[in-house]
Amino acid sequence: MNRFVFATLAGLLLAAPAFAASATNGDAEARTLIVTEGDGRSELTLNPGETVDFCPSGCFVTMPNGDRVALTGSETVEIRGGSGNVK
Amino acid sequence: MLLAVLVGGGFAEAQFTPPELAAEEPASPADATRPDAPAAAAPSTSGLGRGEAMIAAMRENIAALEEQATELRKKLDDNTDNDTALVDLRLQLETLSKGVLQRAVALGPRLREINARLEQLGAPPAEGVSEPEIVANERRALIEEKATINALTGQAEELSLQVSSDIERIGELRRELFTNTLTKRVTIDLTLAGEAFAAFLDEVNQLYRSVASWVRFVLRFKIEAFLGATFFALLAAAVIFIGGRRMVGRLIVRDPANQKPSYLSRVSVAFFSSLLPAAAILVFFIVALSFYHGFNVLRGDILLLFGALARVTTIVFLVHRLARAVLAPFLPAWRLVDIATAPARRLYWLAMAIALVTAFDHFATVVSEVLNSPLSVTVAKTLVASVLVGLLVFAVGLVKPFEGEDGLRRWPLLIRIPLFLLGASPILAAMLGYTVLARFVLHQIVVSGAIAVTMYIGFLAAQAMSDEHAFANTLVGRRIRRAFALDDAAMDRFGVAAGIVLNIAILVAGIPLILLQWGFQAQEIFASAWKVMNEVRIGSFSFSLLALFGGILVFIVGYFVTRWLQGWLDDRVMARGRVDAGVRNSIRTAIGYLGIAVAAMIGISAAGIDLSNFALVAGALSLGIGFGLQNIVNNFVSGLILLAERPFKSGDWIVAGAVQGTVKKISVRATEIETFQRQTIILPNSELINAAVGNWTHKNKLGRVEIRIGVAYGSDARKVSDILLELARNHPMVTKNPEPFVYFVDFGDSALIFELRVFLFDVLNSLTVQNDIRFALYDRLKAEGIEIPFPQRDIHVKAMPAEAFDIALPAEQTSQKAVAKRSRRSKPDPDAD
Repeated sequence: MNRFVFATLAGLLLAAPAFAASATNGDAEARTLIVTEGDGRSELTLNPGETVDFCPSGCFVTMPNGDRVALTGSETVEIRGGSGNVK
Repeated sequence: MLLAVLVGGGFAEAQFTPPELAAEEPASPADATRPDAPAAAAPSTSGLGRGEAMIAAMRENIAALEEQATELRKKLDDNTDNDTALVDLRLQLETLSKGVLQRAVALGPRLREINARLEQLGAPPAEGVSEPEIVANERRALIEEKATINALTGQAEELSLQVSSDIERIGELRRELFTNTLTKRVTIDLTLAGEAFAAFLDEVNQLYRSVASWVRFVLRFKIEAFLGATFFALLAAAVIFIGGRRMVGRLIVRDPANQKPSYLSRVSVAFFSSLLPAAAILVFFIVALSFYHGFNVLRGDILLLFGALARVTTIVFLVHRLARAVLAPFLPAWRLVDIATAPARRLYWLAMAIALVTAFDHFATVVSEVLNSPLSVTVAKTLVASVLVGLLVFAVGLVKPFEGEDGLRRWPLLIRIPLFLLGASPILAAMLGYTVLARFVLHQIVVSGAIAVTMYIGFLAAQAMSDEHAFANTLVGRRIRRAFALDDAAMDRFGVAAGIVLNIAILVAGIPLILLQWGFQAQEIFASAWKVMNEVRIGSFSFSLLALFGGILVFIVGYFVTRWLQGWLDDRVMARGRVDAGVRNSIRTAIGYLGIAVAAMIGISAAGIDLSNFALVAGALSLGIGFGLQNIVNNFVSGLILLAERPFKSGDWIVAGAVQGTVKKISVRATEIETFQRQTIILPNSELINAAVGNWTHKNKLGRVEIRIGVAYGSDARKVSDILLELARNHPMVTKNPEPFVYFVDFGDSALIFELRVFLFDVLNSLTVQNDIRFALYDRLKAEGIEIPFPQRDIHVKAMPAEAFDIALPAEQTSQKAVAKRSRRSKPDPDAD
């Protein structure tokens, strides 16, 4: 059991989730994405530098600069200068 | 639509590049290969061309999808009370929704291209500054195209929203339908009875005629097909039952000779003996019906009847097995609950009766549906069935199941009251005319009851499995033990884990089943379950159960891979290479740590745990933790260094400070040493690294032993030296090279001190050799007459008063004795005579 303790101590890592799309705010101010998922629109506010998971199963996203994108749930969105790059 | 047209018009304008642009660049808009056209312009125009075709196609697609959506919505409005149609529409709407999303996603790459291109062109110029016309035009064109794309995506978004709301509406409608059907009320009065009776006779007649006509039809036209289908069905039955009995027979048979079966075996037999035969029957029915259907032997209505017959038979059979399993009316030793035998039998028959009545009712309802009988028959039949079942449930409540001091005791109040209520409800519902509700209650009593009892048995099994030593004795447990060669403690842990897994599996399987019975729709259950599993939000901290399980699974896989790797390396690679045992141990341990660390990292990553919120708290605590853990980390790092550098290995005799012994095990924090008194001393690794450690067997087992002897002054020193050397050389455990050496240490206070220095082949023999040589030396010195003196002291008496020698003796003797009394070794007394 000793081994487990030390192994977990030795390997902590900040994680990247695997099951939803993620958005990262690369700007110096808070940005808001408008997410339409299923039957409702909601606003997703990202603080500078924050990464958020959302949209596990397909949604439409409106970027801060008005661009509209459809996501399937496995993309990474990077917000820079108000516009979002989808990878 | 209007927006699309507007935007489309604007875009059309951009398509026609102004003539001066065309004149300036000889390259046509479609020509992308002219090398000295400004590199900026050429690719973009072709890009524009591609884009516009795609956008036009996309617009058509979305328009088509919108039409579809409107059509489906119209159908929805027409079919608000048709459950099957609603289900079908829902499926279609969902496909449509997916299609819309796909289309919208297809616009994404183009948007990316445009954005990239706009970035390339750079920021728009400030007021007053002009940029080359080409660039300005292109920028304008791109921005317009982007606007179109955004508008199209917006359209798709709207469409998707509408479709989703339609899907929601379907869900609501279906729920409404369900509740409405349940609460539909029929007026019950005596005229109903007369009407119902007549209609019932009519129905029986009709049924007979219907079945007879079908039988005649089959006999006349389809006899071979029928026989063929029957043959295959019987074959399937044989395979299922005989094969099943062979495979799992032991699991489901209760041994009457076994008077004290363990709880786990009772429970597992109960579980399997109810589920497996019922599943077998279900499979048989499905197979048989599909054969019959495939051979086209069945008429539509006969198929429905057979289907209903199959359903009720399966349920009744399941209830029969479950009741037998739990109550074991004829084998008291196998009973799962603490009920006396006679009440157990009664309860069994009551349960069977309830199931049979409900089954008849269900079958009768299907018959009525198929033959389109009037409502009164159904109502009457359900009334009869509900009253019967209600009375039976009452009877269950009245049974006295438990052994008491004087006769049998009744159910506890907590069980009796709900039972009575449960018995009353179908009776009331049927009497008041809520026929569908009554049938629903009946259905629930039997089916949900069966599922609940199965789940309960499963929970009991899970609990029993977690008991000590229980898992190790099961079939699966024995196999696992053989496969992995685990000891008792590990098997117990496995048992606990198996119990937890079984509990979760039962919940996951059982609860949706029960919810389905209660009218929740499969999609909803699945959707909400998926949402719960995927994201649990607590404030701003969210985690996903699914991802967590995934992470744990990944870690477990990684752990087993590590162990396998360790074993493989040890057995195959290192054993063959005849690597030293200590090295093998080190490498094995190192790989173990490494593997587990990697598995943990990957597991945590897969689990989607975001630890940034903890970082702040951890930062604050880290100072304190750091101070507290400093020794442990010190030991840990020392352990790693020990593993790598190997100043000693397992089996060495080391001296660490005041402690010496044989190294048994080098762990990450401490090293275990066994002293010669067989005491285990656990030394922290830091001590072994920070202080000097002596290792007698580091490179080889050679060691030197010194034997000191003192001989009396006056002995022949060379003789002594020869004796010592002879003894040393004659001893088999003493090396010839380096050869034994006699060292004349000193002229001691009492003796001449010699030291025999011998090297041994195996320093662990040092005590034996010293013993042998000392014994031999003693004998030899005694034989040779060489004295081993006690500590010696010369005493010089300077003056002794005469009175000291005053004793009553004759005068001449006095003086003689006085002389004699002087010690032999005294110096000659100048005053003596």
